Amino acid sequence: MKADRKTLDLFGSSEELEPPIELETPESPPVHVRAEPRVWSVSEVNRSVREMLEDYLPPLWVAGEVANWTAHRSGHRYFTLKDDQAQIRCVMWRRDARQLPIDPENGMNVRVFGGLTLYEARGEYQLTVRQLEARDADGLWRLAFEKLRKKLDVEGLLDPRRKRALPRHPGTVGIVTSATGAALRDMLTVIRRRAPWTRVLVRSCRVQGEGAAVEVAEAIRVLSACGRADVLIVGRGGGSIEDLWAFNEEAVARAIAACSLPVISAVGHEIDVTIADLVADHRAPTPSAAAEVAVPDAVQLGELLETLPIRFARALRGAVERRGRRIADGGERLERAMRGRTVPTRQRVLRATEWMERALERQVGWRRQALRAAAGKLDALSPLATLGRGYAVALGEGGQVLRRTEEFPPGLRFRLRVMDGRVRCDALGPEPDEQS
Amino acid sequence: MEEPGLEGRLRRLEQIVSALEADDLELERALALFEEGVAHVRAAEQILAEAELRVEELLQGDRTRPLRSGDE
Repeated sequence: MKADRKTLDLFGSSEELEPPIELETPESPPVHVRAEPRVWSVSEVNRSVREMLEDYLPPLWVAGEVANWTAHRSGHRYFTLKDDQAQIRCVMWRRDARQLPIDPENGMNVRVFGGLTLYEARGEYQLTVRQLEARDADGLWRLAFEKLRKKLDVEGLLDPRRKRALPRHPGTVGIVTSATGAALRDMLTVIRRRAPWTRVLVRSCRVQGEGAAVEVAEAIRVLSACGRADVLIVGRGGGSIEDLWAFNEEAVARAIAACSLPVISAVGHEIDVTIADLVADHRAPTPSAAAEVAVPDAVQLGELLETLPIRFARALRGAVERRGRRIADGGERLERAMRGRTVPTRQRVLRATEWMERALERQVGWRRQALRAAAGKLDALSPLATLGRGYAVALGEGGQVLRRTEEFPPGLRFRLRVMDGRVRCDALGPEPDEQS
Repeated sequence: MEEPGLEGRLRRLEQIVSALEADDLELERALALFEEGVAHVRAAEQILAEAELRVEELLQGDRTRPLRSGDE
């Protein structure tokens, strides 16, 4: 007999048997006949109970302690929820359990949302759980965070000594973030302001929701492998712990740890710390801050570059002066050495001295030429050169600089060094009334 | 050979400054370093003169395309 929910009235039927019906016949005494009660099958009863539970009791929140938590191979979770007086069996199907950041631990206080039902085949009363939260709102998230943090710490991935220095002047900055978020806009604004010559290479991906962690990890891998960036920024704007969760997942942590480039992590606001922040080479409190630390400042660099040629020229002048001193010292020392000898053949010593002095003169003369060449080059290259402004340097026969009018007797052949070369000149002589 | 980037040039400039400011450099060597240094300074200033930020998006297969920054 097929049971029909509407007609089946399990709870309305009486346990008692109908009273016997009296049949009267003329010849015999009364005969008692029993009518058959309705007898249901087990399946019918269980199905009816299940239907009544599901139809009459809406889903509800239940709080209790977790016990006997089992994660089946199928992905379904089976557990018991209890308080100090009673317990109820629970099941959470894989589809719903997927959203759990981590399985709760036995003994944990949780609250679940689900519907009461009967598992017909076994006649077991149970709660089908659709949502599960720790009693304090972020409990499961924090538990998951701590577990992963400890695991990575043990592997040494959080070791400060692992952290790499960031390049000071990257040619290309790689960015992993959402293409549509404010984080990217902010970072580009900062880079444009500070170092507009920097190239930016963006690999966009989802930064929240299911599957986002895998996309972030893949984006990091791809940017790392393409070999075109010098540093990587991984980031997103602020959000709830669930919004930021992808950056607490193991896939992202491992991708950052394996990245061939230094990684700057910039997830959420200052107060949010994610696993990605802990594994990265540098943690920035916001995406804008990440961009500030990733690129240098044009103004500072420009100032530095301006001062360098001056320092070069100064150092070069020093080298020229040192060379001059050494030559002078050498000559003096030679003279002294010669004078100190007391040899009978003074003539021979004198001749030797003269010979050495002449040799030295030749050497010095050669060095002097090198010096002049150096000085000339210095003049030519120094940004302080005033030749470009129209000043000229008068050079005599031996290359010495002529400065005073008395050094220009009429007829003197000399050269004028101007901005782009030398001019041969004949002096007409000083102008009269010229003060020296 | 590829042109060295800003980082390479600045690093070389640091080396040149140290070498030049050391007390014991031979004049010829100092001159050579001076010339090299000035060349690097000019090249670096050229790089810094770039005012346009170039933003690209990395696509499948290592292809790139320009990305609108969207902050107009």
